[in-house]
Amino acid sequence: MTNTTATVATDKPAASAAPSSTVRTMTMAAALTDALDIALERDDKVVMYGEDVGVMGGVFRVTTGLQGKHGKARVFDTPLTEEGIIGTAIGMGAVGYKPVVELQFGGFMYAGLDQIVSHVSRYRYRSRGRWNTPMVIRFPYGGGLNLLEQHHDSPEAYLTHTPGIKVVIPSSAYDAKGLMLAAIEDPDPVVFFENIKLYRSLKEEVPTGYYTVPLGKARKVLEGDDVTIITWGAMVQTSLEAAKAAQAAGIGIDLLDMRTVSPLDLDAILESVEKTGRVVIVHEAGLTGGFGGEIAALIAEHALFSLEAPIVRVAHFDTMHSAFNPINHFSRPEPTHVADAIKKVLES
Amino acid sequence: MFQILAPDGSVNKPELVPDMETVEKLYREMVRVRYFDDRLASLAKQNKMGTYPQFGGQEASQVGSVMALKPGDYIAPMYRSAGACIAFGWEQRLAIMYFRGHPEGWRIPDHLNMLPIIIDIAAQFPHAAGVAMGLKMQGKPNVAMSWIGEGGTSQGDFHAGVNWAAATDSPAVFIIENNGWAISVPRAVQSKVDHLMRRADGYGIPGYLVDGNDVLAVHHIASKAVEDARAGKGPSLIEQMTYRIRPHTTGDDPKAYRTEDEANDFITNKAPIDRVRKFMTDQKVWDQDREAALKLEVESEFAQALEAADNAPTPDPRALLDYAMVNPAPNLLRQREILETRMKAVGL
Repeated sequence: MTNTTATVATDKPAASAAPSSTVRTMTMAAALTDALDIALERDDKVVMYGEDVGVMGGVFRVTTGLQGKHGKARVFDTPLTEEGIIGTAIGMGAVGYKPVVELQFGGFMYAGLDQIVSHVSRYRYRSRGRWNTPMVIRFPYGGGLNLLEQHHDSPEAYLTHTPGIKVVIPSSAYDAKGLMLAAIEDPDPVVFFENIKLYRSLKEEVPTGYYTVPLGKARKVLEGDDVTIITWGAMVQTSLEAAKAAQAAGIGIDLLDMRTVSPLDLDAILESVEKTGRVVIVHEAGLTGGFGGEIAALIAEHALFSLEAPIVRVAHFDTMHSAFNPINHFSRPEPTHVADAIKKVLES
Repeated sequence: MFQILAPDGSVNKPELVPDMETVEKLYREMVRVRYFDDRLASLAKQNKMGTYPQFGGQEASQVGSVMALKPGDYIAPMYRSAGACIAFGWEQRLAIMYFRGHPEGWRIPDHLNMLPIIIDIAAQFPHAAGVAMGLKMQGKPNVAMSWIGEGGTSQGDFHAGVNWAAATDSPAVFIIENNGWAISVPRAVQSKVDHLMRRADGYGIPGYLVDGNDVLAVHHIASKAVEDARAGKGPSLIEQMTYRIRPHTTGDDPKAYRTEDEANDFITNKAPIDRVRKFMTDQKVWDQDREAALKLEVESEFAQALEAADNAPTPDPRALLDYAMVNPAPNLLRQREILETRMKAVGL
């Protein structure tokens, strides 16, 4: 067993950082507010709307203060309809706007899914490039709070299976801000997942000015030679907890935060897998048809002979994300589940 | 706006006042469900309850309508319908456990024709239309009733459900509880029409505008709609004007979007329970002794329900996988094995 030192990656891109930008300690929610504020400032075609985003500033207060600062014409409340919010964003895009719309929860995306699958993803292809659908669809996602049903879903796989959609799932305040600014500038439609628990559970230093984090570039959270853990969103923290314990026991963990699952940084995955030969994939969504299956298939296609053990996936059971709060932790991935997976991938 | 009892307890339409036994029944039920609502909110504040969506202020709207139903009828509730569900016969113990995320509370008893509580907005309307169509096809003398907020009328499913039942002459009663607020979004943002019940014209069905804080008015109109549906005259659309005196849920703070004056004015001048009590007191069928006895009765029923809910064993984690499929597919069986291992690891 190779013993490696845990190193927290410092690959924060200097290239796009604002000159003499100061830093401020921010939650992920505050970092997102900052990003949205900067986007409204930089581009007058950016508009933000959805249920409760205007006066109240969103149920998780991510758009707080933006209507007051940028006006009701650019940040506003809408009728209660996800298909309307997404469908109108297509039309707004057609006449030159860049809508950044909010859905209240990931579980409410299904009410607007027809517009995403049938139209957002197809407009450019259908019109052979005449009509683009530049937009960012933001929503809170993920479990861990005692909320009602449909408030805990992780619906990324519905979107990664949909052609033409980019899917961003940040795990830190720094990334959330830089990825949001990159998503808003991106010409493709981007669905931006904001983890409910991470909104306020983590704080870190974030530059106050403009910067971007490129879509499609993974972040190495820990460096190690024995096991690769591939994950995103809130599961980065869950995996990190298990990985640190493993590191302390002398097991080297390469922990990859994918940051975006579409586009996917396959190079980063293959580089790590070729080094360790052992892979654990962790996601909060259900196992079957989850995005981990696609990653496992890519590894099998491109690096099968680097593998020294079968790939292990840690995911939610194949049931709806229940609101059975006292027992959810038996299904939603926990650090102990990741620890079991690390053990399993090393044993085989 | 149809009204029988004015806010001061005086009678506008004496010929429509039901027998005092019915009045007292409606009153007792409103007091009972309102006590439940207040207690669940305070339990949530003490962290002894998950996030709870209060219906306080809407007790006349819910009790008056649901008590127009007869045995064999169906209800399709949404998240703010706990008052209607309890008045329909849902045990308080189960309701407490439901909002605590306990699977036993999620199990709807076989004798109760209550569809599951729907969290995402408006989906229950097509369900109610389907029940109604099926009842008609079976020649049963029963009806389906469903509720939605005024915000929910902006959803496509609102239209899908009401139009379907109308087009098929199915025995459904659709109720808009217009409480003024979709979380922070006021009624005026949802629609340009002055009264949402006007949409009934577009479906070719009767529409009613009712004082939703007058339980006698609500009960009168709901009974008419129910009996029309039962008689084969098809569905009705009722708009009940009421008010959400509480936050959207126990996790919301209305100070961010509305003044307290609005709620205080309702509590002081329009409260549904007070006006019936005034009326019954004027009629000399109610006095302080009866009020005190009712209060004791209601408190003791809730205390027993809460004690039973508190004493319910921690749910069996196997509930996470139960009911995913009638005949579990192999993936679920494998996950059951994983679950057993996880349970064993914590001594279960």
